[in-house]
Amino acid sequence: MAVWFLPLLIVGTTILLSLPVGFYLAWIVDGRYRAPGWLRWLERRLDTGVQNWKQYALSLLLFNTLMFAFGFIVLAAQSSAPLNPDGKGMLAPTTIFNTVSSFLTNTNLQHYSGEVHLSYWSQIAFVVWNMFVSAAVGFCVLAAMTRGLRGDEHMGNFYLDMWRVVVYVFLPTSFFGGVILMAAGVPMTFDKAIEAFTLEPGAMGKDDKGDPKRQLIARGPVAAVLPIKHFGTNGGGFFGANSAHPYENPNAWTNYFECVSILIFPFSLVVMFGRLLGQMRQAAVIYGVMLSLFVTMIVWAVHFDTQQPNPALKGLPVDQGEMGNLEGKELRFGTSAGATFSAVTTAVTCGSVNCMHDSLNPLAGLTPLTGMWLNCVFGGKGVGLVNLLVYLIVGVFLAGLMVGRTPEYLGKKVEAREMKLAMLALLIHPILILGPTGLFAALSWGTEATSNPGPHGFSQILYEFSSASANNGSGFEGLSDTWGFNDTKPEPYHTRAWDIATGLVMLLGRFIPIVAPLALAGSLAAKKRTPFTSGTLRTDTLTFGFVLLGTILLVGALLFMPAAVLGPVAEHLGPIPF
Amino acid sequence: MNAHIRANLWLLGVTVLLCCVLYPLSLWAIGQSVFPHRATGSLVVEDGKTIGSTSIAQPFVGDEYFWPRPSAVSYNASGSGGSNYGASNPKLRARVAQTLGPIVKYAQSNRLVGKDIERWFQRDRFQGKPNIVAQWAEKYPFAAQDWVKADPLNGDYVRDWQTAHTEEVEMWREKNPEITDPKSDDLAVPFFDSFSRTFPGRWPGTVEDKAGRRIVPAMEDPAIQANFFEMWLQEHPDVKLEQVPADFVMASGSGLDPHITLKNAEYQLDRVADAWSKKTGGKPQDVRKTIAMLLQEKSTSPLGGWAGVELVNVLEVNRALRDREMFFRLREQGR
Repeated sequence: MAVWFLPLLIVGTTILLSLPVGFYLAWIVDGRYRAPGWLRWLERRLDTGVQNWKQYALSLLLFNTLMFAFGFIVLAAQSSAPLNPDGKGMLAPTTIFNTVSSFLTNTNLQHYSGEVHLSYWSQIAFVVWNMFVSAAVGFCVLAAMTRGLRGDEHMGNFYLDMWRVVVYVFLPTSFFGGVILMAAGVPMTFDKAIEAFTLEPGAMGKDDKGDPKRQLIARGPVAAVLPIKHFGTNGGGFFGANSAHPYENPNAWTNYFECVSILIFPFSLVVMFGRLLGQMRQAAVIYGVMLSLFVTMIVWAVHFDTQQPNPALKGLPVDQGEMGNLEGKELRFGTSAGATFSAVTTAVTCGSVNCMHDSLNPLAGLTPLTGMWLNCVFGGKGVGLVNLLVYLIVGVFLAGLMVGRTPEYLGKKVEAREMKLAMLALLIHPILILGPTGLFAALSWGTEATSNPGPHGFSQILYEFSSASANNGSGFEGLSDTWGFNDTKPEPYHTRAWDIATGLVMLLGRFIPIVAPLALAGSLAAKKRTPFTSGTLRTDTLTFGFVLLGTILLVGALLFMPAAVLGPVAEHLGPIPF
Repeated sequence: MNAHIRANLWLLGVTVLLCCVLYPLSLWAIGQSVFPHRATGSLVVEDGKTIGSTSIAQPFVGDEYFWPRPSAVSYNASGSGGSNYGASNPKLRARVAQTLGPIVKYAQSNRLVGKDIERWFQRDRFQGKPNIVAQWAEKYPFAAQDWVKADPLNGDYVRDWQTAHTEEVEMWREKNPEITDPKSDDLAVPFFDSFSRTFPGRWPGTVEDKAGRRIVPAMEDPAIQANFFEMWLQEHPDVKLEQVPADFVMASGSGLDPHITLKNAEYQLDRVADAWSKKTGGKPQDVRKTIAMLLQEKSTSPLGGWAGVELVNVLEVNRALRDREMFFRLREQGR
């Protein structure tokens, strides 16, 4: 009972909220909100006029280039910038490249550990800023694509869209979320880490002089990072342990709040899509398909992780009955919270974690992997729905072939050019995951970085590239890809390879699936609408929902099944205990 | 193009101003004025001294305190993280077995198994073969290496062995040509092999007396109970042991989980109550009852009981225990 209450509560709340929020988003994106005068003055500074898909894509790429340059400068300046009470040094140059690519692409893969390597300057000027704007970029792409699909003559204006999403959506919700989280115990301070005498003197051990050691507790402006980390499905934690850290997630209520705040915009965007099109049934089919996949992911994870013991302890006198696998889990969130969060965070490519995915039971580890492979179960801010629309175009095409009709979507013919773009957007994802995984698994770059033996080591490599390509950012964090420039331990020779490889995968995995669908929508927009007849293949029916589900599962299963078998499935079947 | 550049710069400038200056500053102002305690980290301050944070686990080692969950970061809160061990990683099972050895009891007699493990260990036979320590090092090479790295004293002991046993080291090097410059932890396995043949049924234990801290071949040592528990269990498959609550042995995700389950606290209750009644001279049953009531009083559950089991915050309970020290004493005097 307690096991299923929490996931039900999270999903139920989100579904209820997604309708009003979706309508609000449509109202904002359509520009029907009339802001106060000074905000409208700023809007006019940004409005460069209506754009076609090429101009829109160009503006997007220009702004992302600027983001890259700005982010690089901010991070590189860390050691000489203000707001650095703990005196953090510079990150390694390859780590800066990786981190800038990571936050620019809304991935938030972290090859550093927040409280160890970043100053408050970097947390605010780099992390927070990137979280706001990179989340808005995906949102804008979806808005533009929808305008193309509904037959607008232009796709809107990129800068204006960015402004509306950041200022009228993310800022107010994050401010509200920040206050709630502070009230629940998330710190918001610019003071340095505090040294605590422990209650039992000497429990931390003794230092060289024989005096009791103190406990050094890192803190900082956490409440500014947390809300937008989730509302923007960013996922990059203030602390290394992310939302498992008591300062990022102090109790069960904040955990519930954080789960809903991860899901709310990806759910609402589907409603917004239907509202903008003026065809809610189209959106309802998509919503239903996504929801059924999402529920399956949660049930799978909870069943194999919370309801099963950790197989490693078989035969030892340990009572795992009530709570399932507790390795890497926190207690205060509730029994099934870790497994549920692992499904939530990977379905919508957030990448925040409240338990260590590396220590999930082997089969439960398939849930986060599948979420990232499909990358369209609600998916990241905007881009998830864009991915689903690509699957949908493929589904329309397949169904059209099967019944012998010209495939069309929303009255526009889907032809060779659209299919080429759809396949490009679709295939880049598996190529970017499986290619580098194979390469690193064969080289000492990969094999020496894994911290677990056998199939689980392979899963660690596979997870890292899946996370990078899906722009997720979570990890099987035992992988040794983190090294600080000023760390006392020597640099493992493979960290640079990981920095550069995942950095490139994140950039390609972000911009190709953004530009190709924009081109696709542009190409559809330019076509004449064919009249709706009794012979039209309807895309707003239950039947088509199944076609869509089948397309996603077939394509996803065919592409990733071998890798899944080599990793988590082999681990599950393998000898545990030994 | 100029229009693009202007729009880009405006967007950059205004979003930086809003997201990196106004937004964090207003949150900071609200936090520091409305929730000053929580916004600075829920710190516990006694007589002007910060002793910890109720949100962050801190270690307890004494018998009179409840112990927190194991921490993969040794409770060092300037970092955070879990063990990241997958189920198929032998290190996970070995770590759990090491925790269990010294604390597990028989189900019926409520007696610790540790002494029986030591007696069995002294016979120096595992699965019919001698040199039990060598077999252990062969089976758990990572645990043998951890022993070498755990204490500078251990490392020095291995280095001394290395200079005295050049032949054995040379033989090992021939078999492992890929390690060109072996450090003392690389030599853990051959070291234990050699130790086991020189001192059968003994463990390199640490003693501290007037002559200082040094290593002697020991017959009894908590490390024997920890390291040989699993091998002992394999040879005694039929013993009935008391089940230990999982959160006692499973490390948390952050390494800083401030809670344990109420079940875990009740499991530790015997030890804690014993220590307090010895310390204060209070009557054992009374002290136990008082502490059990304290646990009930301090327990909470996630989402008001809808989402999980009852928990207690370790620091809060231990503070309350310490504050009641006088109470335990007074009851005895008043009797």
